[in-house]
Amino acid sequence: MPYRIEVKDLNVYFGESHILKDINININNNMVTALIGPSGCGKSTFIRTLNRMNDSISTFKKDGSVLLDGDDIYESKVDVVDLRKKVGMVFQKPNPFPKSIFDNVAYGLRIHGENDKDVLANKVEESLRAAALWDEVKDKLEMSALGLSGGQQQRLCIARTIAVEPEVILMDEPCSALDPISTTKIEDLIHKLKDDYTIIIVTHNMQQATRVSKYTAFFLNGEIVESGLTEKLFMEPADKRTEDYITGRFG
Amino acid sequence: MDKKYIIGIIIALVVIVGAYMVVAPGSGSKVTIVGSTSVQPVAEKLATGYMKEHPNVKITVQGGGTAVGIKSAQDGTANIGTASKAISANDSQGLTQYTLGQDGVVAIVSPNNNLTGLTKDQLKGIFSGNITNWNQVGGPDAKINVIVREEGSGTRDAFQEIVLGKLSNGTKVSFVSSAIVQSSTQAVQQAVSQDPNAIGFCSFADLGNDTKALSINGISASASTIADGTYTIQRPFLFLVKGDAKGEVKNFIDWVMGPEGQAILTSEKIIKSTNSTNSTK
Amino acid sequence: MTEKTEEKFVKWVLFATGLSSIAIILLIILFIFNEGIPALTSVGFFNFVFGMTWAPSNGQYGVFPMVIGTLGITALALVLAVPLSICCAVFLSEIAPPTMRKILKPTIQGLAGIPSVIYGFFGLVVLVPFMRVHYGGTGFSLLAASLILTIMILPTITSISEDALRSIPMEYKEASFALGATQWQTIKNVLLPAAVPGVITAIILGMGRAIGETMAVIMVAGNVVQIPGSIFDPVRALTSNIALEMGYATGLHYNALFATGIILIGVIIILLLIANYFNYKKRVTIGGGYL
Repeated sequence: MPYRIEVKDLNVYFGESHILKDINININNNMVTALIGPSGCGKSTFIRTLNRMNDSISTFKKDGSVLLDGDDIYESKVDVVDLRKKVGMVFQKPNPFPKSIFDNVAYGLRIHGENDKDVLANKVEESLRAAALWDEVKDKLEMSALGLSGGQQQRLCIARTIAVEPEVILMDEPCSALDPISTTKIEDLIHKLKDDYTIIIVTHNMQQATRVSKYTAFFLNGEIVESGLTEKLFMEPADKRTEDYITGRFG
Repeated sequence: MDKKYIIGIIIALVVIVGAYMVVAPGSGSKVTIVGSTSVQPVAEKLATGYMKEHPNVKITVQGGGTAVGIKSAQDGTANIGTASKAISANDSQGLTQYTLGQDGVVAIVSPNNNLTGLTKDQLKGIFSGNITNWNQVGGPDAKINVIVREEGSGTRDAFQEIVLGKLSNGTKVSFVSSAIVQSSTQAVQQAVSQDPNAIGFCSFADLGNDTKALSINGISASASTIADGTYTIQRPFLFLVKGDAKGEVKNFIDWVMGPEGQAILTSEKIIKSTNSTNSTK
Repeated sequence: MTEKTEEKFVKWVLFATGLSSIAIILLIILFIFNEGIPALTSVGFFNFVFGMTWAPSNGQYGVFPMVIGTLGITALALVLAVPLSICCAVFLSEIAPPTMRKILKPTIQGLAGIPSVIYGFFGLVVLVPFMRVHYGGTGFSLLAASLILTIMILPTITSISEDALRSIPMEYKEASFALGATQWQTIKNVLLPAAVPGVITAIILGMGRAIGETMAVIMVAGNVVQIPGSIFDPVRALTSNIALEMGYATGLHYNALFATGIILIGVIIILLLIANYFNYKKRVTIGGGYL
């Protein structure tokens, strides 16, 4: 089976600082890959490179290549809008728009040209169901999304992302701002989604990595120290630094 | 803390000085002049000149209009009332009048307007709205843009009274209602100078190079035509004093009528009348 | 001074200053009503507000044409200034590169510091002759006044709208981009709607400046007391009426000018109520949460 994402010799700089060094990693289709590592190790920068969210930072420079289904996403002929439609993203802090719940989910559909009311309604319901939020909000779709709890807001953001039918979903510490119950709900959701989507999740929480992911990569100081099956990485780490990190000796 | 004390001391000083300036009685004598806004600038020049020579006298000059000038002089609320028109025998009862001189009011057009003169009736027709096109007075076919001063202006009052006059029932003839209103002599001149179809008016004393004064009934305004009364759109500038001037008021009026005062009046283009019928005193 | 007495002292001083600013405003309003009411009672409120003729020398006091003049000048100025200012604000906050922004922002704010008489003089010397030549009439007109006001309120609306746009959390923008929205879609669908309360505040402040502006309007509006037939006709604003005649007015005329001030306050209060109602409604339609 070919890899969904192949990253080859990726180096990223912000101005003078060298953030990511010689990253090589392959991401499997329809599986959850967790990225772990201490704060400031470059995990977030890395996943933001996968949908070109760093492009708006004026000092951003990179070399090496990022292939999605075999095509380099940084080639000049690539339309960033199409890329981001294929590679969706959920952020660390829940960030629904200051609009109604319905409009939040419909936003992505509308900007891509879908205006038919019935289609929108169906897609919104489908996405909210997929994000396990439908039952909680079906009676108040016109209410402001800002009135939801943090966990509900994050699931709404996931619904908003899956509404545009991406192939890959990037999640940047999606549970770091949530309480344990909400975290459990999000993790259950990730389990459900992994059959249909390729998910890459950045997390601080090693238990979470073991619970949700099939593969794990350990980042340290801008490099990938070790990557492989989650089970193996946590049970028999090959590198001393990985062992130190997962046993809590630093980080 | 030091800084706070310094700021505190500065504030205290400002308050004390301010309070002193408000409360402190003026040393020496005071003269108040109230009345016509047309006379006001001239009176201010005279007052400044007099105070320079007599530093312990304080003269304040206020506007309000000729009517206020007459009333203040009669009530005694002002030492001197000023008027910019000849006042009726009824109003002048008990008042001594001192004529500063004559002020001409001229109708002005843009230098680009070929017209050089109008009759007084034509002027009346234009400003009252009966004549609306320059071709009715020998000019090109173009709408006349009338520009006047604001309600209450002494120059406007004088122009209205002398040129427009009154209806048979005694009410004043109004300016044409579409007339543009400008709030100062300079604004009128600016507006007239740039529009070849505009007409306005201003005091002879303020006539500048940007605008052209029209002759009226063939006589153009000049120091001599105003002095001998042949240029008829003119008005007297008057000082009114209740009873006989006494003390500092008398000193001031004597100074105004003397050589220094006359020099200031001449430089302000207030013209001494040589026509006995025009002179009030 | 001990900590505690200092604390108390500061509290007391702040309370006193707050109170005094309210007291001063109340005193001014009281004074204006005190001076203006005699004219309203002697002329009659409805005759005053809806009267068509203003001729103090004949004892006629009607300010209706001036109410229309004030509303017309302000409305047209807002119609011209608001879209321009919002585009300007969007450009400054979202599109302009940082160096250009560093030059443009102080320049636009500098426009707000120019005295109004300078704008008026510019209007009198440049704008009025231009309009006379190109549109006929005298050039003194409602449009001339509105154009000058547009330039005058542009910096206010631009700079406050820009602040509103910049204060929108980065997360909204990122969320929109991550869904594949273009920059324009993000501005139109996320940033501008989220900035609406700030933009409305900006418009209210701009409107306040436009209504209150006196000097520049006197110089270019022509000050004819009439209901304008078109935007090329001269008009007189309420503020202009007060400023033009206050120097000379006595007796009833003087009271009538204060009564003009009362009407002006009334007009401003009504406009503020309308503006705040829209602001409130806009928030309600978003639903439970506010920005």
